[in-house]
Parts: sequence; C-alpha cells; structure tokens
Amino acid sequence: QAEVEETLKRIQTHKGVIGTIVVNAEGIPIRTTLDNSTTVQYAGLLHQLTMKARSTVRDIDPQNDLTFLRIRSKKHEIMVAPDKEYMLIVIQNPSE
Amino acid sequence: MNIYNISIPRYSRRHNTIKMSIPTAKLKKPTLKVTPSSRAMNISTSGILRLNRSATYARSINASVSRKSFCLAADSKILEKSSVQTPKHTIQVLDENGKDVTPRPVYQPDPAAVQSKHSKIFASDTSGGTMSDFYSTTYQTTTNASFAGAFTRSLFGSGSVSIGSQSIMESMSEEIEDPSSKRDNSISLSDVQVKREEVKELIQEEMLDDMVDLYLVESDTLCLLDMPAISVSVDSMEAESVKERNSRYTELCKNRTGNDKYMGRSMQTFNGASKTKEVQSEAITMADAATIANNWDMYDSFCSAGQGEVDLSTDTDKASIAEMIHQNHGPTRTMERTMSVISSSTIVSSSSSRMEMEPFVVPSESKPDPELILQSEEFQQHLFVMERIILENIYQPKLAAYRQLPTLEDPDSMPKAVPMVVSRREESSLDEEGPPTPALERLWSFSCELTTGRNVSSMAWNKRNPDLLAVGYGQFAFKDQKPGLVCCWSLKNPSWPERIFTCQSGVTALDFSASSASMLAVGMHDGTIATYNVQSREKTPVIDSSDCVHKHTSPVWQVRWINHERALSGEDKGEALISVSADGRISKWFLRKGLDCIDLMKLKRTRNDRFKRQVGEKERKSEALISRQAPGLCFDFHPTDSNIYLAGTEEGHIHKCSCSYNEQFLETYQAHKGPLYRITWSPFCSDVFLSCSSDWTIQLWRQDLFTPVLGFMSTQRAVYDVMWSPKWATVFGAVNEGRMEIWDLGASILDPTIVNPASPGVKLTSLLFATETDCVLVGDSDGQVSVYQLKNFTAGEGTQVGTLEDIIGSTLASQL
Repeated sequence: QAEVEETLKRIQTHKGVIGTIVVNAEGIPIRTTLDNSTTVQYAGLLHQLTMKARSTVRDIDPQNDLTFLRIRSKKHEIMVAPDKEYMLIVIQNPSE
Repeated sequence: MNIYNISIPRYSRRHNTIKMSIPTAKLKKPTLKVTPSSRAMNISTSGILRLNRSATYARSINASVSRKSFCLAADSKILEKSSVQTPKHTIQVLDENGKDVTPRPVYQPDPAAVQSKHSKIFASDTSGGTMSDFYSTTYQTTTNASFAGAFTRSLFGSGSVSIGSQSIMESMSEEIEDPSSKRDNSISLSDVQVKREEVKELIQEEMLDDMVDLYLVESDTLCLLDMPAISVSVDSMEAESVKERNSRYTELCKNRTGNDKYMGRSMQTFNGASKTKEVQSEAITMADAATIANNWDMYDSFCSAGQGEVDLSTDTDKASIAEMIHQNHGPTRTMERTMSVISSSTIVSSSSSRMEMEPFVVPSESKPDPELILQSEEFQQHLFVMERIILENIYQPKLAAYRQLPTLEDPDSMPKAVPMVVSRREESSLDEEGPPTPALERLWSFSCELTTGRNVSSMAWNKRNPDLLAVGYGQFAFKDQKPGLVCCWSLKNPSWPERIFTCQSGVTALDFSASSASMLAVGMHDGTIATYNVQSREKTPVIDSSDCVHKHTSPVWQVRWINHERALSGEDKGEALISVSADGRISKWFLRKGLDCIDLMKLKRTRNDRFKRQVGEKERKSEALISRQAPGLCFDFHPTDSNIYLAGTEEGHIHKCSCSYNEQFLETYQAHKGPLYRITWSPFCSDVFLSCSSDWTIQLWRQDLFTPVLGFMSTQRAVYDVMWSPKWATVFGAVNEGRMEIWDLGASILDPTIVNPASPGVKLTSLLFATETDCVLVGDSDGQVSVYQLKNFTAGEGTQVGTLEDIIGSTLASQL
C-alpha cells in the first residue's frame, strides 16, 4: 500500500542511510537502492548470519526467536529485520 | 520383520506307504542329510524315490502372498531334488510298490503371460533366505535352472506355496519336451511372480494406513549349521569310549594292509557339468544422508507433531536418518522428515516409502509474490521498527540529553568540529566567575512535510505516556482557514508522526483524557468537538459534536478533561469534557445517546465601568452589541477544588465561577485591556494564577485580590501562551509573537531570565513544558514544534513555594 511505500522512501532519505535492501526467502532482491552485485553479496552473507543467529537464539531457548539483528562496525551499522518470507536490510552510517 | 511360523509336516502321518529313511520333525537332521542326498541327486540312477506324491498332497499354488505357514518338508526337499534329477530320464515316478506316483503339475502355465527375464527367477526370490543357502550347494545341475527356479519359486514362494507333486511332474513333463517350455516355465514363473507382486503391492497400500499388530514369538530353533566337534575332552564321560574307538581304528588301519577282509576298489563318479551363470542387476544407488538435529528443530517437530504417539526418545535416534536438504528449506524439511519418521509405524518398508513420498506431500511452499511481501503486516511492522532504530541512531545524543542521560561519544566518529566547540565552551565557562548562565539548547523539532506551513495552535502531552505528544494545527484568524490537522508524535520518531488525523476545520484546542489515556478531545474552529481514539488506526473520530443541537457555533478555544470528585446533580463522577468557545458558553459534554452538552456558564458581557471614563465610551455604550455574551477564550480549573474555575474572555475579564452556580460569576478580575489568551493556576501555590493577553502583559494574581500582584511586560507583542513550570514554583514560560521567554521570579521580576528569539518570519504560538525533564516545547506558525532544553537552570525546588509567596508578600507590602 501507499503507507509502505512512503515509509520505505522515508527510511531511504533519513540521515546517514546508505542503502536499503528487501530480499525474499530465496535471496532474490525485491527492493534495493544499491547496485546488484552489492545487493546480492549483502543478501547472501546476511542470510547466513541471520540463520546462525536465529539458530543460536533458539538453541538456548526453543520458545524464543530472533526479531532483529544489528551489526555495528567501524564504518557503518547494518540492521537486519529477518522474517520467514523476507529480510529487510538497512545500512546506515550513524556518525555522518 | 515377520516371523514365519514354520511347521514341519509329519510326513509319516500322511504317507505311511513310503519308506522314509529320514526321520521327521527335526530339522536338525536334514542338515546332516543334505550332503548325502546331494550325492544321491547326482547318482540319479540309484535314486530311491522318496517321492510320493499322492493326490492329496497336491495343493494349488496360492499365488497370494499371505504369510501363512508353508510346508517345508525337509524330506520333501530331498525328494524333490531327486525328482529334479529324474525327469531328465523318466517322466514317471514309481515307488517301491510299482505305483505310479508321478506328481501332477500344480500349476498350469499361462502361455499368454508376459515373458520375463530369467534373472528374475533368482532376483525376485525374496523369501526364506535361510533355505537358499543350503540349496545353492545342492543345485548343481543347471540345465534345469528354470526348474530349480520353479522349485525355489514354489518352495520358497512366500505364502502357502507348497508343491504338489503332480504339478511338479506336469510342469516338468512339459518342460522336458521342448526347449520352449522353458520359456513357458519362465512365463509361468513370471506369471506367478507377477501375481505375487501384485498381491504384494496391494498389501503394501493397504498396510500403509493400517495399524499392524506384530506378535513376536519365539520360533523353533532352526539349526542352520552343525559341525560336530572332532575332539573330545579328556575329562569328559565319552573320553573312554572315544579312546577305545580310536584305538580300535588304529588297529584296523594297521590290519588293513594285507588283510583279506579289505579289498581296494575304484569307482568313477560323475561330475556334474558346471555352468557359470551371470546375473546382472541394477546398481544399488547409495545416498549419503545426514542432518544436524538442533535443539529448536526437535522442539519444533515436537510441537507440530504433537498428536498422540510422539516419543521424544526415539526422536533423537531417528533424526539422524533424515536427509540433508537445501539450506533454505532445511529447517522445514528436516522437521517434516522427523515428523514422518515419528509418526510412521514401525514397518520399515512403509516408513521408507513414506520418506520417499514426503517430498511430494510437503505442502507446496508457493513463492510469495514480492508484492504480497511488501504489503504484509509483518513487513510494515518491521519497517516501523527499522525506522525508529535508524532515527535512534541519528538522534541519540539529543534524546539522551532530553532524558538527562550522559551523552555517549561515538568513538569511531570523526572528531570534526567537536573539540573546537568544547574549548569554546570551556573558555566561556572559565571566563565567568559565577555560575554559568541559564541557556536554552535546541535539541530537535517535530516537523514533517505535512505540517509545514500550518500554524501550531495547541499541544498536549498524553497523561499516561509522557513521551506522546499531540499537536493541533489550525489557524487562529478567521481568514485563511484550511482543514486542520492533529498529529500524535512519539519521542522515538521526530520525523514522522505516529498518528495523523485530518479535521474539517482548523484545530484550536486539544486535550488528552486522564482516565482513558487514549482519548483525545479536539476543538475546532467551526465549533465542532470531536474525540479521537489514538490507539486505533482509524482516521475518523470516535464521536463528533456536529450533530449536537447545542453545539458551539464559534471556535472552541479550549477543551479540558476535568475529573469531578463531587457528583453534580446526580451524574456519575468521573471525567467530563469541558469546553469554552467564542459564542460565550462554557459547556460540559457527556455521552447520552450521542454527544450532548449542558452549559456550565454563559459568559455575559460585563460593563467595564471602571475603565470607561472617556467620552468615547459613552458612544460605545449605546452601540448595539452583537451578542450579549462575551467570547470566552480560556479557562482553567482550580488544581485542588474542581468546582471552581477561572474563565477569561475577549473583553479582558477573568471570571471566577463555580460549577454549582451557573447564573453568576463568583468574582471578576479586571485588569487586562485585551483578549485573554491564557489563564493558568500555579501548580505549587493554590492561590496564585497567571494570565496573559494580547495587551503585551502577563499578570500574576492572587485569588483574593482583585488587582494583579505582579505584571510582566517585556516586549510590545501580544503574549499568546503562558505556562507555569511543573518543576519550579517561581518559573514560568511565555511565548509572544517574536520570542520565547523563561521567567524566573526568584532571579528577577522585571526581565525574563532566558530569551529565545524566533526565527525570522515565524511566529511562536504555543508553549508546553515537559513534565519530567527540563525541556520546553515551542510551537510556531510554520508547523514546527521545537524542543529546547533548559541548561544551567539552578532554581532549587524545595523552597520555591516559599520564595514565590515571599515575592508576592514583599510586592504587596511595597504596594501598600
């Protein structure tokens, strides 16, 4: 709907946001603001990491589940919202 | 793993016409006899026909594979073996008495049956593997391989395939005649096979769904191999006899040479022609299977397969059987697999077939359309959370300052201009000898593209969640009215409001209810009052007063939810919505078959007798008044006594009224010369209130005095809003057209302590203190609500009330 589009656009225009990626369960990007090779790279690597993180969380307590993943690095922060059918990835440079 | 119930026929019971050299009922013995009998087979001529196939023995081959007992007559085997040999030479079988006991064929081969490969004869032999072992040694004739096959077929055919002697003979007779019979036989074989397989299949399908009861019973001991010992212990009882025998034997051997008793003789044996047989079968495909059974994997399968016979202990074992699948479907697939293993019965074949079936049974995970993904609820939720997190990253220092937390410096951020600013501040603080001056620091502002250009008319904090702010946008003036807007902002997202409500006309008043914290009352320029439920996502008000008969006809300038402790005229206690509007009425709204109101007070015009002394006034007196009522602009209920309230009018009068007396004012305070924009009681001193008006002044009153105690004027601009600080008794903030001021009466009663000018071209219109922090919100005519933090404000708290009263007292004293 329009709300979703608006929110996506707003996110992309926030300060410091480098890129936004939405991939489906197979790793095919649905929406992206970065170029294809970068998108595919991010999607593939983050998918594996998310799987591992989810496995970790659930191993400790099977009733728990992963809801959000944030990776803070020297240069950026990568934020991943995982789901069964898709994955939302936003890369931001918070200290711009 | 069925257990065959093997019964050994009592041969002697049935056929006592035959001399049996083989004892019955003990399978053990036959094993001993196997080798001699095989030799017997070779010496076909010497064959003592054990065959006695009387008619009674004939039984039709039951092609159905029912796992009933089948007769495994040990002796019959031998008989059959010999019979295998004999047909080569004779067709008829005669026993000792000369009776013709040629077996009739049990089964008539169907020439129309499909021909199958010879290899099938052996390949499809699935039953009684134990028997085939010692039969392979016996079958040395291969010309009748098909025969042997027939026998194996019939012998070992699962089920009650027993060999009728006649049938064998018939089939044999048929075979020997022409080589084509071999084919026939194979046909027959295949026929049998086909039938058997068919039946087998039937069973498989049926049995898939059935609960099969398996009884494990102990069968009779089958002795497959018995190799008697060739040595005996010296201590045993037999030792003596064995020793004796041994000695006798050695004696015998010694005596043999040259003894007439023994004569050497040679024999010639026939050696069976051997034939190599090759069998080709399809390679057995092997597949490696592995999985990792995680904690959560098991939990998932346990939860989803939770009807009945789930056994967790077997789970862990069986999890290892499952296949490894593509990673994406890994979790779900393994779950399905383990599920199938758990829930299947213990029949291996069926479970294995199930595992093969699983990939097709798995509900097809249809790839969700990308559009569907984008429009799903979860995606919206994720976007919402993501946006807040991004903004948190951006606004973290500001929000931390708002919450009065120490701000964290990002260690990786480039130290750009920060050191310079710090040094300057240090310098400035070092320069001053006294405490640093109170100042305002602008943190951020709530604004978005929707709100630019709109005039902020009112702001209200939510009573339950002090981080939620409702802002109403609407023009004050009568001209350029446009549809109003109410936005609910959250502290977590200063760039986009959480809720947006558009109203038909400009919003002029807002208030959140205290009892039901999600109710927001909105007063509008056209006199409508509406309540919204901010919890729901609906854009329409819960209730609207546009249908009410007594609705306001002029702009509603203030609405307030007031909690009445004392019930009025029998109505239930609780919260009531009070509004004041320019049509001169203060109304109380309640819900009774729709929104309805009663008037608490009609603001009548009072004659300003005290001030009208000029000549011009006389003319004014005679003018016809448009309405007998003075437009009310503001009101405020007493903080402790909810019966008393103050109302300010456009004439500049403040009326003290009571809820229980709606005919007359209790008091009137006249001092202002212009419309009163705001009246507010002090939250600390219950007698003191402030009023501000467009006559550029702010007046401080005490309830019992009819003249203001203190008046404040700083610029020649109309003061739109004034509010006491919730933290300090002597501090209040005021906003006039050009600037925002913070007054600290403890510091100075003549000048504001902090002055913050507005950006050029923008008028400041409303002010709100934040309840728990030292922050002030200022709304302006451009749609921005800026958040400022009061820094270095050192007015102490405890003595405040005393200070205020002292100030008042001293002022009064000086006045007198």
